[in-house]
Amino acid sequence: MIRLENVTKVYEGGTIAAHDVSFEMQKGEFTFLVGPSGSGKSTLIRLMLRDEPVTRGKIWVAGKDITTLPKWKIPFLRRSVGTVFQDYKLLPTKTVGENVAFALEVLGRPRSVIAPQVEQVLDLVGLSDKIARYPKQLSGGEQQRVSVARAFVNRPPIMLCDEPTGNLDPKTSVGIMKLLDRINRTGTTIVMATHDHAIVDAMQRRVVALDNGRVMRDEEAGRYERVPE
Amino acid sequence: MNRLFFLVREALVNLRRNLLVVAGAVLAVFISLTLAFGALVVNEVLRLNTLAWQEGVHVIAFLNDAGVNGVPTDAHEQLLAEVQTWEEVKQPDGAFYVDKAQAWVEYQEIFAGQDELLAIDPTILPASIRIELVDIDLHESVAFKLQQQQQVVRRVDTAAEQIEQLQNLSSVLNVLGIGMAVILGLSAVVLIANTIRLAIYARRDEVEIMKLVGASNWYIRVPFLLEGMIEGLLGAAAAVFLVWIGSSRLADALTSFALFHFDVGTDFFLRWGLLFLLFGVLAGVVGSMLGLSRHLRESEGVASAVPTGTLERV
Repeated sequence: MIRLENVTKVYEGGTIAAHDVSFEMQKGEFTFLVGPSGSGKSTLIRLMLRDEPVTRGKIWVAGKDITTLPKWKIPFLRRSVGTVFQDYKLLPTKTVGENVAFALEVLGRPRSVIAPQVEQVLDLVGLSDKIARYPKQLSGGEQQRVSVARAFVNRPPIMLCDEPTGNLDPKTSVGIMKLLDRINRTGTTIVMATHDHAIVDAMQRRVVALDNGRVMRDEEAGRYERVPE
Repeated sequence: MNRLFFLVREALVNLRRNLLVVAGAVLAVFISLTLAFGALVVNEVLRLNTLAWQEGVHVIAFLNDAGVNGVPTDAHEQLLAEVQTWEEVKQPDGAFYVDKAQAWVEYQEIFAGQDELLAIDPTILPASIRIELVDIDLHESVAFKLQQQQQVVRRVDTAAEQIEQLQNLSSVLNVLGIGMAVILGLSAVVLIANTIRLAIYARRDEVEIMKLVGASNWYIRVPFLLEGMIEGLLGAAAAVFLVWIGSSRLADALTSFALFHFDVGTDFFLRWGLLFLLFGVLAGVVGSMLGLSRHLRESEGVASAVPTGTLERV
């Protein structure tokens, strides 16, 4: 579903955010990208979203080489990849329902399709009763649920999550992780960058550990820290 | 159809939600186009008045009395008939004859109330042929032809110098008026572009989120273009309305000022008003394109473009 092949990203000024990174994620897999701040987790998420170009190497997403994707095709890539960010990225002038519907409206879906899909996904994230609220009327956890709902509303095969629990307390974070786990069980491939030890350890999913832009460890059912042998 | 509906709705909702910025853009268009349209109207007023002043008698041939000093008795009629055939003379009534009696009547009208000037022998006033030309530039040629008729023609007067001065003034005013209209029109585009860029900057988060969910650049552009069009149209409509009403009121108020006419006619306002409305729409579109293209270029990415917390600050 996602394949990185010898990916290197060097920013202006010479900072190496990713150095010869290679790994592959299968359909329906849940993968944590872990590592300290500046290890290159977020950079890899942005590269997979073609938010930034790679310096060297190749990235395939859903069977397509996105490193050679022309600019005008980038929106099509993003329509097949749901994204969740630490800062929610919700439109403050739109209600919960409008924020979620927005993702379908830009795809040109008819209103008759949008309404039931929005209701369905808000039901999934447990916010059916808050469809008419504005983001500022919601807690951080609820806002992140809206963000997850928007990312999932058009049923993308892949979801990229960059520190989705970074602004949330541990209890709320568990709620978000349960939600992502539930989505993952529908067959959606999820890549999540995090430095939340507790969540990674509790979920026991694949862990790709990064440090200074290099893959230090890639374990099935791994933990945040390497388990001493 | 769904997309079109969505885009139009987005544009209208955005206009409603950003009233202050919208008002700024509309005001920018309004002020610039009012000045530009005003300059054009002033230019038209000057042009029409210059034209009016240019009409009328351009050349006068004062004639020796007929039947005296060897001038044949029918010399005046013959000369008039000849002059009327000249191609430089406006047809059909470009040349006409003013006899001594009419000249005396004219003289009395001009010097009415000035008894010492009226105490002259009316017979000394010469008859004349008054000529209106098809083109005032031809006055020298006509004057030359008349001067060849030495037996009949006593003196030839033309309004040449005054006409040339008027033409020069008219040309200068035309260039100034059109130049001002062009400069103000261009400044309108720049003002609109700047205002719309500010509007887009204020809503950059929205643009980033649209990109995040997979909206194409054109899909992002269209609501902004529609907004620009509407803002341009509103500003231009207000400008045309104000200048039209202002000019009409001024023309009505100054009807007694016979030397100068302020009325440029409904046709002028319809023709140029429509063009200004189109210009306003175009300026809005160009302004939006300029403002947005730079923003879309700058924010090629999405995830990195919106720092944490910016959404809450909007």
